[in-house]
Amino acid sequence: MEPQPTGTNGAAGAPAALAAPAAPNPNVVPDHQFKLKFCTVCASNQNRSMEAHLQLASAHLPTISFGTGSLVRLPGPTITQPNVYHFNSTTYSQIHSELSAQNAALYTHNGLLNMLGRNLNIKSYPERFQDWVPGKPRLEHEGDKGFEGTEAGVADVVITCEERCFDAVLEDLHNKGGKLNRPVHVFNVDIKDNHEEALVGGKAILDLALSLNEAAGKEREVHGESGWSAGGGAARSGFDEKVPEILASWQERWPQMPALWSLAWF
Amino acid sequence: MSPIQQLQSARALALGDGRYYPTIIPGVLPIISFSAEQSLEVQRWGADFLAEAFASPAWPSDVKESSAPSVLATLKDYLENVDDMSVVKSSIQAAASVYPLVYRHTVHNAHDATNWQLMSAIKANILRRMDSAPPGVRVCCVKFLQQIVLVQTPGVVDPRRPDHSDISLALAPRDHPLIPYVSLEAEGHGLLDRLLDIIHGDHSDGLLVTATLNTLGVLMHRRPIAVNKILTSIFNFNPLKLANSPLTPKNKVIMKSIERTTRSLLMNIMKRDPQNPINGRIQQFLERMHRTRVEMADEVNRKRPAPSEPTDGLDQAKRQRVAAGAPSAVTQDTMPVAPPLPPGPVSWRQLFTLNPEGSTVNFDVQAFRDPEQLVRILVPVLQSVDQVKLGHAMNIVRSRYLSLSQATRAAQPAAPAAEDEEEYEPDFEPEDAEQINNRLDGLPPTDLAFQSGPSTALAPYKLPEAPPLTEQEVQKYGAMTVNRAFGMLSSIDDTQKSKVTKGGFNRLAASDYGRDAWVTILSRLATRCSAGLEDPQEGIKDEHAVSNSKGSLNISETVRDGMYNYIISDWKKRIDVATLWLNEEWYNDTVLAQSKDVATNGTANGDTFTSVLNAPNGNYQRCALRLIDGILPYVEHTDKIILRFLSEVPALNYDILIRLKKMAEDPERIDLACSALHYLYMFRPPVRDIVVNVLTQIYRSNDRARPSAKKLLARWKPEVLAEEDAPLVKSEEGQIAKESANGALEVKAAS
Repeated sequence: MEPQPTGTNGAAGAPAALAAPAAPNPNVVPDHQFKLKFCTVCASNQNRSMEAHLQLASAHLPTISFGTGSLVRLPGPTITQPNVYHFNSTTYSQIHSELSAQNAALYTHNGLLNMLGRNLNIKSYPERFQDWVPGKPRLEHEGDKGFEGTEAGVADVVITCEERCFDAVLEDLHNKGGKLNRPVHVFNVDIKDNHEEALVGGKAILDLALSLNEAAGKEREVHGESGWSAGGGAARSGFDEKVPEILASWQERWPQMPALWSLAWF
Repeated sequence: MSPIQQLQSARALALGDGRYYPTIIPGVLPIISFSAEQSLEVQRWGADFLAEAFASPAWPSDVKESSAPSVLATLKDYLENVDDMSVVKSSIQAAASVYPLVYRHTVHNAHDATNWQLMSAIKANILRRMDSAPPGVRVCCVKFLQQIVLVQTPGVVDPRRPDHSDISLALAPRDHPLIPYVSLEAEGHGLLDRLLDIIHGDHSDGLLVTATLNTLGVLMHRRPIAVNKILTSIFNFNPLKLANSPLTPKNKVIMKSIERTTRSLLMNIMKRDPQNPINGRIQQFLERMHRTRVEMADEVNRKRPAPSEPTDGLDQAKRQRVAAGAPSAVTQDTMPVAPPLPPGPVSWRQLFTLNPEGSTVNFDVQAFRDPEQLVRILVPVLQSVDQVKLGHAMNIVRSRYLSLSQATRAAQPAAPAAEDEEEYEPDFEPEDAEQINNRLDGLPPTDLAFQSGPSTALAPYKLPEAPPLTEQEVQKYGAMTVNRAFGMLSSIDDTQKSKVTKGGFNRLAASDYGRDAWVTILSRLATRCSAGLEDPQEGIKDEHAVSNSKGSLNISETVRDGMYNYIISDWKKRIDVATLWLNEEWYNDTVLAQSKDVATNGTANGDTFTSVLNAPNGNYQRCALRLIDGILPYVEHTDKIILRFLSEVPALNYDILIRLKKMAEDPERIDLACSALHYLYMFRPPVRDIVVNVLTQIYRSNDRARPSAKKLLARWKPEVLAEEDAPLVKSEEGQIAKESANGALEVKAAS
């Protein structure tokens, strides 16, 4: 059921498809190409944003990820006893070892340990979006997957995984005050918080990211602003104004994940 | 090493420590400064670097301020000579960051005209692009515009909390040679208007609109002066403008996004200042927007329906609600069809089991050790029971039972009853739950044959009987109840007094649970509940007893005490309660007197209405006297309300009115007493005689009241005055002595 990520139109998709046999993975963006910087956001920076982080990073896209909750919340032995941790300080490996000690069978069974094992290979600890200072260099995150390109601590695209997080991100960007004067496309892709949906959602996000990246790369290939006014129709429009179109066609490919978008400011 | 590599290592250094920026920028500038033969790559890198450097939070703004002028020339050249989207976008971003810095630099260096001119040229260049550039560039222009508006409008100047980071027009002295305050301010407002025009303009790409909306939050936060203008503009803004154009997927996405962005902005404003009076209007706007969208009712705006598969344990909060929306439209077709009962004898369990294949058949409730857990499960389950299905199931069981009982009735004579005789209980006494359980579980199926009828009703649960109350306790609790009733009365007093609706004769005494209703209930409780139960001789002993101090079980007296205290504690406001109560007392006494007349004499005494007052154990007289005695000491000479009270009470006699004489002894209240009597004389003819009588008393005994009384008596009973004018004779001597004593007292008091 997973659609092949293609370009925004057939013509654009064709060269990518032709190149596919040569490149082992068509979903990997070659390093010499232009790359947008991505930021994935969910509630706890554990499941959905991390799955997407992994998939984007595996496509060699610069990626950072955050959670918007007040605390990191993971299911506990019962519904009323969640495991709660602090953002920005508790590492994935700490959580992993704590949960293995608590009830290895339970947390293996429900997939938490597996998830945490994946996460600790991506980066060291869950980060909270609201505590993030955009523009602050992230050199200390050098070991993180998808670090390449994110060292300046900014992103061109933020993708949230549920509407609550989308609202929280827009709200927080209002509060941060847009001091960087840097535009950022904020998307929401509604993904249910479970492992299977996160996996599918991650693929959908990668599809969106690749579509966006392709459009942004093309904009840079067209040399000069005059090239813009010279052309006509779709060829004329640049990356930013293509975004709604890209999202609309993405939405048709992934109708089960309602999307939102806004151009906000760092 | 290529120039780009060189530049990259310089940038890496700066990223490592922001303090290096002031030294790195001068080092980088010679490479990135515009020249015609420069590669596009270097220009892009340069513009990106400048944007990044001046946006970076890693170095303080006053240091940035001293570096900012050095990059202006480069930015200007980029904007004027480079024709590349990426370079232009980054240059505008850098200019937006630099503009406030250069402004502050110019404020402090009034003679640095060169840099301010460079900045102005950059500004002009960017403003020119506002209308014609591709949307991606215009978005950056929007942000630049926002920065200009921030700089060129006065900020909050609070001397207690000077905000040094806020760069606003307030920094500029009025006589600055380079910064003309007035024209900058005008330009600031003009650009704000231009910014706001964007959201009312073309929505077709959504980009500019959401970008603008997302800049307004900060503007409103930092420039309170602009809040009203911005909010007014937003209130006039239609986020769903695109609804009129063809609903392509793109338009749907844009419309939804604009709506969501607007909502975010407004929510942020409300959260920032929850007390703001404007929040009500914001709320209205949001609701209207929401309604409009719902009305448009296109499927894009609906969230996807809840998936059918069970959710896993990761997000427990998102579980489907069990209670919500049980399918109401269950048709007969979808009703579960129960298989017929197996032939031969059946157990109770079989009788009630509709689905022998289902998993619930083997479910044993006893598995739940924790009753709380059971309750947690049971309550939602019961709530979710579909009434139609339940009715259907009951019908099945009912028909099964009927056919079974018919079958057994036919078979009964032949059934061997003897062996189970001891266990068989032929009575129809309700059994307790345990018995039923035992029967259900333990009895062999054949037992059904011996059941002549259903005996499955649960025994009624009886509360254990409470220990008997002692008399004192009864009294105590009774009094507590009464007190509570009056406590409640006072609490609803103020809220309900205002809305008086007159029901007239159609009024039901206590239909609403308002103050008057409770007053009626309580006063009837006081008067009627034990009416006629007292020993008729008893009252003779203590006709005027205020209350039986102890040992009385009489609820009436407790209620009367409560009523009295309730009225006295705020008698002016509660005088209507007093009237109501006394009316009830009077009515009750009258009814009692009538029935007594009938019972004893066999003839109704035509004059029961006044005889109430003279009834030996009547409550009216006693209560009225008690109330008047309680109220009169507090009456001031301005309290005309006493007139109303005296005219509204159902019956008056000498004993009551003579209290006015006492009142008239206070020189201040003479007039009040006289006007009360005057009023009664005029509007209550039956008590005229008593009034004149009382007035005469006053006239004779009270020197100070004499002039007022004289005026009235002159009209009503001149013979009294004539008597007085005549020389005093015979028996009046004692009276004179008293009068003179009074006079002496008054003289003394006056001196």
